[in-house]
Parts: sequence; C-alpha cells; structure tokens
Amino acid sequence: MKLRIFYVSISVSIFLIFWETFYYFFIRDPFLLAPPSKVIPTFVKLITLQDPSFKMPVDIVFSLYHYALGFSSALIIGISLGLLMGFSRTLENLLSPIVELIRPIPPIAWIPISILLLKLTHTAAGFIIFIGSFFPILLNTRHGVASVEKKFVEVALTLGASRFEILRKVIIPASMPSIFTGIRVGSGVAWMCVVAAELFGVSAYGLGYQIEIARLYHAPEIVISYMVCIGLVGYALDNVYKFLASRFLRWRRGLVVE
Amino acid sequence: MSSEVLRVSNLRKRFNDLLVIDSISFSIKSGEFFCILGPSGCGKTTLLRIIAGFEDYEGEVLLKGEKIKKPGPDRVLVFQDYALFPWRTVIGNVLFGIESKLQKREALKVAEEMLKLVGLEGFEKSYPHELSGGMKQRVALARALVCDPAILLMDEPLSALDAQTRMEMQAELVKIWQRTKKTIVYVTHSIEEAVFLADRILVLSKRPARAKALVEVKLERPRNRFDAKFTEISQKIYDLLKD
Repeated sequence: MKLRIFYVSISVSIFLIFWETFYYFFIRDPFLLAPPSKVIPTFVKLITLQDPSFKMPVDIVFSLYHYALGFSSALIIGISLGLLMGFSRTLENLLSPIVELIRPIPPIAWIPISILLLKLTHTAAGFIIFIGSFFPILLNTRHGVASVEKKFVEVALTLGASRFEILRKVIIPASMPSIFTGIRVGSGVAWMCVVAAELFGVSAYGLGYQIEIARLYHAPEIVISYMVCIGLVGYALDNVYKFLASRFLRWRRGLVVE
Repeated sequence: MSSEVLRVSNLRKRFNDLLVIDSISFSIKSGEFFCILGPSGCGKTTLLRIIAGFEDYEGEVLLKGEKIKKPGPDRVLVFQDYALFPWRTVIGNVLFGIESKLQKREALKVAEEMLKLVGLEGFEKSYPHELSGGMKQRVALARALVCDPAILLMDEPLSALDAQTRMEMQAELVKIWQRTKKTIVYVTHSIEEAVFLADRILVLSKRPARAKALVEVKLERPRNRFDAKFTEISQKIYDLLKD
C-alpha cells in the first residue's frame, strides 16, 4: 500500500511538472490552455461551490442522474436479453442479426434522432447512454451463457434440477464473471456517453454541458477542471463495480490470476 | 441381494453410422456393486450415460420396470472430473439436489451428515478449488448420495487420483457402500480396481462394445489385493480382455 502511494505520487508529480513546463515554454496564453498551478485552485473553488456560475457538485449529481437512467435500463434489458439469447437458440437466431446491424452505429450517431424524438430532456441523454452501454452488457452476458460448461448442466440434470433451476442455479452463476466484465465495460462507455449526450444541452447542469459552456467563456482552467472531475468520477464508478465483482465472485479467488 | 433394479436388454447405440454398443444385456440386483470393465474408448462411458438418461438408444433399459428416457435424481451420475460447481462451497454443492425439495434446516442436516459419512467434516465452507482431488471426489460422492438415488452411477471416479489416494478411496468407497447399501454401477478400465470393488464385473470388448463375460467375485470384504484368489480372478479377466 505504502509503495503504491509512493508510485502514484511520483507519477502524478512528473506529469504535473511536464504539463506546467509545457505550458510556459510553448503556449503562454491563458485563453488556450491552463497550467496545473491554475487548474488546481480553480478545481478546488468549483468543487466547494465558491464559483457563482459553475456549480460542480450539482453538475456531478445531474450527470450521475443521466448515467443512472441510461445505465440501469441497459443493465436490466442487456442482462435479461443476453440470458435469453444464450439460453434459447431460436431467440439467438432471431435477434442476433438486428444486434449485429445496430451495434456498429456509434452512440453519438444516435444523438440527432434522440433529440428529435425525445427533445432536450434527461431521457434523451439517458437514451444515448443506454445505447452506448447496452451492447457490451448484452454481448458479454450472451458470451457468458454460451460458454457455460456442458458438464455443469448435466450434473444439474442428473441431480434432478428443473429447467428454471438450471437457469437460476447454474447458468447465471456460471456466467457471472462474464456479466461483470460486461458491466464494467458498459459502465465505462456509459460514462463517456454522458459527456457526449450533455454537450447538446439536454439540461442546464451536467459535467458534459458545463465543459462546453466553459469553452464558450474561453476559460480553459474550468474546462480542464471539469475534465479532471469527469475522470475522477469515472474512476470511482469503475472501482465500485470492481469492488462488487470481488464480492460476488469470491469463489474465483485462487482460480484466476488477479 | 433381492430384487432387480436395472435391466438392460439388447442395447445398441450408434453415433451416426458408428456402432459403439452392440446388443448388450444384463441386469443389476438391488444393493449390488456392479463394475463395467473394458478397454479405453470401448463405449463403457456411453453405456453409463445411457443409464443416466443422457443418450438415446435402441433396445431396452428399464429402471424398476420403467423405461429410461431422461436424466433424473433416481440415477445420479458421478463424473470423472468431479464437476463440482466452483461458485458453491462444499456444503452448497452437497445441498444442490435437495435444497428445493426439503426444508432448509432438514436439507442442511442431511447434507452435514453426508459430509461426515464421506469424511469431510469441517470443510463445509471451503470452495472446491481449495480441496485436493480425493476431497473433491468425496464432495461429488456426497452430493450424489444425498439425492438418495436408486442407483449410483460412477464414471471412472478415481482415475485422476494418484495411486495411493486411489487405493484409500477404493477402501473408503466400499465402506460407504456397505453403510448406505446403495446399488452402484461403476465404470473402470482397471482390472485390479474392479476386482477389489465389485460383486460382479461385466467385461466388455473393444469397440463396438459387446459383453465378453460376467464375472462374479466371491471374495470376503475387505479384500486383499495380494491374496492368491484375488490374483487368480485378475488373471482370468486379463486373459478375457486379451483375446
């Protein structure tokens, strides 16, 4: 742990020094870029609500709201559809052509149609986030179900399990590692989509929205502060799922390289 | 040794055009330890999977007079590689077959008693990957036994173990069999193992599997591998397999 803190502080300091010198040697224009010596105090000011027009904590709440809207629906629909597609050959054959055709369309390409249909609402942002995170969750779940070892299903059958019991007691736990991979990848994409979805002004708050407003103000120190904030929240979210995965997949300890 | 539990008559099995089992007939008595012995790849595992209900077949396979069509807990199959659920603890694995049929407390009691019988007290909360091969096989055995099957089907269950553990497990298995009075159908390719364990041994030929002989082993238990009669029977089966 101590060693880790040591490495983190070394690498962050090197990065900050590099950034600071880069600014003073090559840019030297406060309207184009800000050095860390300016960004850090700005960030502190923003996160402690001391700025009259940029309320960072409120923006975090709004962005998390958009994220929750889109990501939770992607979780519910993605996991259940993935389980069904992995479980039933017919459904798999019926649905996979649609999935394969829609999947390559980037979430950003859905923004215009989503704004036309849903107007500038929270739901419109949620929809973009849903599109972004749905496919990784669906595909990983389906992959997990498809790669459940046959012997586990046979053991369950010989021990007298019903079809539903096999789904609940064999297929789902056996695909859990894969489902969690889907959740983590999906959450990462969802968080990226939050920024993209908010850029178009679906609401007057949100990290993605403010970053664009700050650009219009020509305030790179605010832009970068928001970038830092987006990075930190995304990192925190990923750690939540990492923690949950280690909790739910305790049985895998000792089976896989960590 | 009273009633007949399983009757197999004129059993044939094809995979596409390949004939794997060619008209085999035998019957198994209740409480019997029955070994199926044959060379690798002869179709003995297929025969066991047919009894377990995993394969279709031609001919007749009757469990207490009823035709076997699908797998069920009256004929639990113990797999060669244990196939323990890695996401369940030892007790969780043993509970699998009974947790939805019995009340929670009762199921737990049955499972704990069974773990005691196979000698795994104190390992309830361990995960399969924390156990040795012999212990895993004990869990698999306990998981099958709690279902109280009419027949216990075992597919070379000890073949992945080292020689010494295998011998210990064989002796243990005989004890468990004597205590539970289960009917066991045991597939193996080891002559010595079959002679050590079985009441009767069905000797199969190379593929397609045909019944070469049905050898009765009338030795007292616990058996001694170095006994003259033991070697005599082994020699006889060895000669049978050779030609």
